[in-house]
Amino acid sequence: MSFLDSAGTDLLARYLDLSAMRQSLITSNIANIDTPGYRTRDIDFHGELQRALEGDSSGTTEPVVREVQGLIARPDGNNVSIDRESMLLSEVQLQFSAAEQLIKSDFKILNMAINGGSGGS
Amino acid sequence: MNLFRVLDISGSALLAERQRAEVVASNLANAESTHTADGGPYKRMHVVFGAHPMQTHGFAMTLASFTDMNAEGVRVDRVVQDGAPPIRRFEPGHPDADADGYVSYPAINPVEEVVNLMGAARAYQLNASAVQSTRNMIQASIDIIKS
Repeated sequence: MSFLDSAGTDLLARYLDLSAMRQSLITSNIANIDTPGYRTRDIDFHGELQRALEGDSSGTTEPVVREVQGLIARPDGNNVSIDRESMLLSEVQLQFSAAEQLIKSDFKILNMAINGGSGGS
Repeated sequence: MNLFRVLDISGSALLAERQRAEVVASNLANAESTHTADGGPYKRMHVVFGAHPMQTHGFAMTLASFTDMNAEGVRVDRVVQDGAPPIRRFEPGHPDADADGYVSYPAINPVEEVVNLMGAARAYQLNASAVQSTRNMIQASIDIIKS
């Protein structure tokens, strides 16, 4: 590990990756809101992040996509909840931009070190 | 993970919901059509949605770094005709009246169609906000490069 990619940046990258994956699943759930028989799917965000924290930060292991339990299914077998999905949509977006800001500040500090402390960008 | 593909998923839903709205509009427009090209009154149509894994192509393909999360888009699988029998009204003077003076009208309930149309419009809006949210995430990623 070189100083350029610190453990923090690695973890943040994983965080961004997981957020993007989650976004893709949420989008897919929303797209299939009227598809008969479609079941809501998601990843265990915190579980996957925990795995990354416990050393497996390479990002090579695939997160497990699972069907979300405990949602009320409509008569056509579809169990996508508009409320759940729109709430998650904004949540993931905020998580993503938080991690993005942290990465930016990481790089800013690195830049400062390169420039001998004479300033950020 | 490739965020550009996520836009494709929402895009597929926008297309499917628009097609649904088109079919509903056609049902509404033809609520009183007593004859069609293949004879008989207009038959009410339904769209059947199906989930399909998204095809990665072109620009998105070159950016695809992660394996597919088998996230699925949606598309209109079939457009089926409603099997409900036509509504018969006694209108002896009507050119499409049968021997007994009854005219067959399509079994279309305008209220039901309008509700369906609202459903399509709401689903379209929701997918449009998903596009907006994904767009913001892509923009945020681009900002990392800028910093």
